[in-house]
Amino acid sequence: MAKSLGIFVTNPDNFHHVFGVVKAAKAKGSKVKVFFTWTATHNAKLKEFPALCELADDVSICVDSYKKQGYDINDVPAGLSPKEMATQAQHGIIIEDFDSYISF
Amino acid sequence: MEYKKVCLMYRHKDYAVDGMRSALGLAVENMYSYGVVMDTEIEKLDEHNLESIEMLRDMEGEIYSTVPANVEKNGFEPITIEELGEKLRDMSIVIPYGLK
Amino acid sequence: MKILNVYRSEPDDTVKKLVEIVTRDRESDTFDLGADNPDYSVLVDKIFAADQTICWW
Repeated sequence: MAKSLGIFVTNPDNFHHVFGVVKAAKAKGSKVKVFFTWTATHNAKLKEFPALCELADDVSICVDSYKKQGYDINDVPAGLSPKEMATQAQHGIIIEDFDSYISF
Repeated sequence: MEYKKVCLMYRHKDYAVDGMRSALGLAVENMYSYGVVMDTEIEKLDEHNLESIEMLRDMEGEIYSTVPANVEKNGFEPITIEELGEKLRDMSIVIPYGLK
Repeated sequence: MKILNVYRSEPDDTVKKLVEIVTRDRESDTFDLGADNPDYSVLVDKIFAADQTICWW
């Protein structure tokens, strides 16, 4: 049984690494959760973002950061549901409930 | 139950304040949570952010800085790189936050 | 305690110093994400084999 993997993203320029790791982990049968915060919430507007949401088991973004980066919180990015516009508690879940952790 | 210990490190001034918010978010989730402002001098924090740091301290967290000006301006705890390295050895999670 | 140090860019003196202290008397491994076309499958294997992963700036 593959370990589960939690990914915390704070760097807006690392989406390609996030996607690469998620693809590789899913190919190994791993459960993967990703949480984007602060300027990394810009990643939710990338054209590849919905594909990441499709591939990973759980993707969410910090709604407060998203708002501070200038977006309307009612403008839910493709791939996310309103409940995945979330809080820093998601980061806590990644640390507590997943076997392995990496931040980007 | 053993509580997790997390250290977030900030080297870019545009990421320090939000990174402290992330540290507070983890303290609220029952983790020992620490932030370290490295290399960069940041502005004097406003009342709201200083209150957030007080909340973090109430939950046994702390904000450190390797930069004396940040210690003077914002009341952060001073720390050297060597001391930080030793502290990181004791952490469950280490997070180089944001941009360099 | 096995530590995996992942580097997104060339580590500077500060990062080198921290890594030296964190990995002292411990088993450790590294992965260079700054390389062209990093092998993410290898990276994930290394993450799962480590007790802690630190992904440096």
